[in-house]
Amino acid sequence: MTGRASITRRLIVAVLLLEVLAAIALIGAVTVHERKVQYEAFDANLRSHASTIFGAVQDADDVGDNVQLELRGLKIPKRAIYEVRDQRGVVLGSVGSVPLLDASPESFEDVNVEGHSYRFFVLSADRIIDPGVDGGIDRQVRVIFGLPDGHVWHEVMGAVSFFAIATLLLLSLTTVLMIWLIRKLLLPIHELAGAAEAIDTLHWRFDAPASAKEYAELRPLATTIEDTIARLQRAFEQQKRFTSDAAHELKTDLAIVKSSLQLMSMKRRTVEEYEGGVALGLEDVTRLEQTVHKMLTLSRLEQPKEAVGQNCRIDVVLQDVVQQSRPLAELRDIRVALALANVRVPLDSRDATLLCSNVLSNALQHSPEGASVDVSVALADGVGILTVRDCGEGIDEGERQSLFLPFYRGDVSRSRKSGGTGLGLSICKAICDRVGASIEIANHAAGGAVVRITLPVVEGQKPGAAVSSLSTAGMRADRHQS
Amino acid sequence: MRLLLVEDEQRLADNIAAALRESGFAVDHAADGSAGSYLAEQDIYDAIILDLMLPEKSGQAVLRDLRQRKLQTPVLILTAQEGKESVVELLNSGADDYLAKPFDLGELIARVKALIRRSKGAASAVLRIGDVEVDTVRQIVRRREMEVDLSPTEYRILEYLAHKPRAIVSKQELLEHLYDYDWEHHSNVIEAHVSNLRRKLNMADTEPLIETLRHRGYRLREDAL
Repeated sequence: MTGRASITRRLIVAVLLLEVLAAIALIGAVTVHERKVQYEAFDANLRSHASTIFGAVQDADDVGDNVQLELRGLKIPKRAIYEVRDQRGVVLGSVGSVPLLDASPESFEDVNVEGHSYRFFVLSADRIIDPGVDGGIDRQVRVIFGLPDGHVWHEVMGAVSFFAIATLLLLSLTTVLMIWLIRKLLLPIHELAGAAEAIDTLHWRFDAPASAKEYAELRPLATTIEDTIARLQRAFEQQKRFTSDAAHELKTDLAIVKSSLQLMSMKRRTVEEYEGGVALGLEDVTRLEQTVHKMLTLSRLEQPKEAVGQNCRIDVVLQDVVQQSRPLAELRDIRVALALANVRVPLDSRDATLLCSNVLSNALQHSPEGASVDVSVALADGVGILTVRDCGEGIDEGERQSLFLPFYRGDVSRSRKSGGTGLGLSICKAICDRVGASIEIANHAAGGAVVRITLPVVEGQKPGAAVSSLSTAGMRADRHQS
Repeated sequence: MRLLLVEDEQRLADNIAAALRESGFAVDHAADGSAGSYLAEQDIYDAIILDLMLPEKSGQAVLRDLRQRKLQTPVLILTAQEGKESVVELLNSGADDYLAKPFDLGELIARVKALIRRSKGAASAVLRIGDVEVDTVRQIVRRREMEVDLSPTEYRILEYLAHKPRAIVSKQELLEHLYDYDWEHHSNVIEAHVSNLRRKLNMADTEPLIETLRHRGYRLREDAL
């Protein structure tokens, strides 16, 4: 046997222990009761014998109007001890050595006589002789009658042994029945365990056995396992897909770096060719570095949040980010229009910057040259709403959810050619998930895509005035003015 | 030999194409599955190098369509996907070879050459036409143990002819297999190259190895084989 605790064993032991205790109590009670009953019968017998003997006391027909004992025709038990005295103390008759008793009349007393336990009854009554003469003459007679009471205890023990044996049989039967019943009842648990054991990383399917669902006590466990497995499977598949996509991404980047170097080493080349090759190789390595960096960022964001209480003004962060994106916007002659309200959100400034810059650079990438990007932050119904709208080609409605999957590149502009790693929106989603914010992309009625982020605000936030409405943080306007 | 490279990753495609061209191949590049499928079905390529994850049409679909059209152009798959199952699947669905990214450019070139050799029915890397030996690995030609110094184009013409020992190869076919898209610019130089090749291969007491069939093309001489 292993040292593991067994519910079956514990249950059986507990039930049996209780049964044994109950049996002991019962046997005790039976003993007391049986003794009482047996003694009552025995005492009645003693009393009846004493009365019989008293009845045998007759008028002696002598001068002194005495009484005498006439036992002829009476059946007295063999081992009986008795003594009959009259009012003068004269022994009218006796058998055996009657001990000296201090018992009062009409009472019983246990006495040891020559090594045997006896029970005596003392009867004291008046015998009326010559009742016809002046109301008769009253003669007091005292009868002491005793019988060995050993057989009474024998009877009691007999009854108790019968009861004990019956209880023992009942206990054995209960044990066998209980083992059978518990095994039968535990079978669904074994089946459930068997079904759960069949789950591994290749076979995620879990169907709780019907037997486990039959019992009200097991059904919650079975359905919980089913739900948990389904959830784990989804998480595992997602992780697997991410790993596979990440490997694909890194291998492709590595293939580029490796082939660039191999191409250069295939034959002797001019200095210019080498210089060009090195420059391209550096670009390739930078790309690889960016991919790894973003993968690590995503991995960090998917960990449980360690610090709480950090917050920042999302409008201030956005202004900084817009400022930093200036060169890219200017390059493509894109105007960024800002409408910002003062909103404090529970994000640390690093994550907030990452979120804003990813969304903004996405919008800039998708905007045609000379277009504008509208960025706004507002406070409504206790939540902060950040929207970024571009005038690009919009999104494919069927891809709304897929766009947030790591390495997903639905359209050509998200492909590697555009320089994206395919992780930007996944990172945004991870940042939002950490603080209970939501992010969604939709098509604007007037064209282009709108990213809408709904953020919780930090307690005590009051609606703030727009710090800048359609400000000229927009690059085109700035540039044209300067 | 003219190859089709279907690869969406521009930088990688540039590197592979450059390496293949330096090894004497003509290379056409398609950046997505649809374009790749269209070009592959022209049946003018000696081999196709096909990436699996492509925009618009996957590599698997390109391969499947190609084989459904009964086109037997050898296909080498480039894959960054893990797992043996997909490799077996690919080979079963008509791919002739595969290379996992990141691969070795030298290995890619060697495998493409081996694929072409196999598809032309030559098991050895050294092709023999009578007393002429064409070493396709080192790209060296010998006649009677003497090395013949050929230009890259001359070598490619000879190798292509050596792969088709009894067939008549038209000028058009040679052009298609030796040059990229802009082969028409080279149409007038083929004759000059063949003439040079014939001259370089000739020795004092040998018959010309390549015969010209008027308006039809070129062929290796029967008696030389």
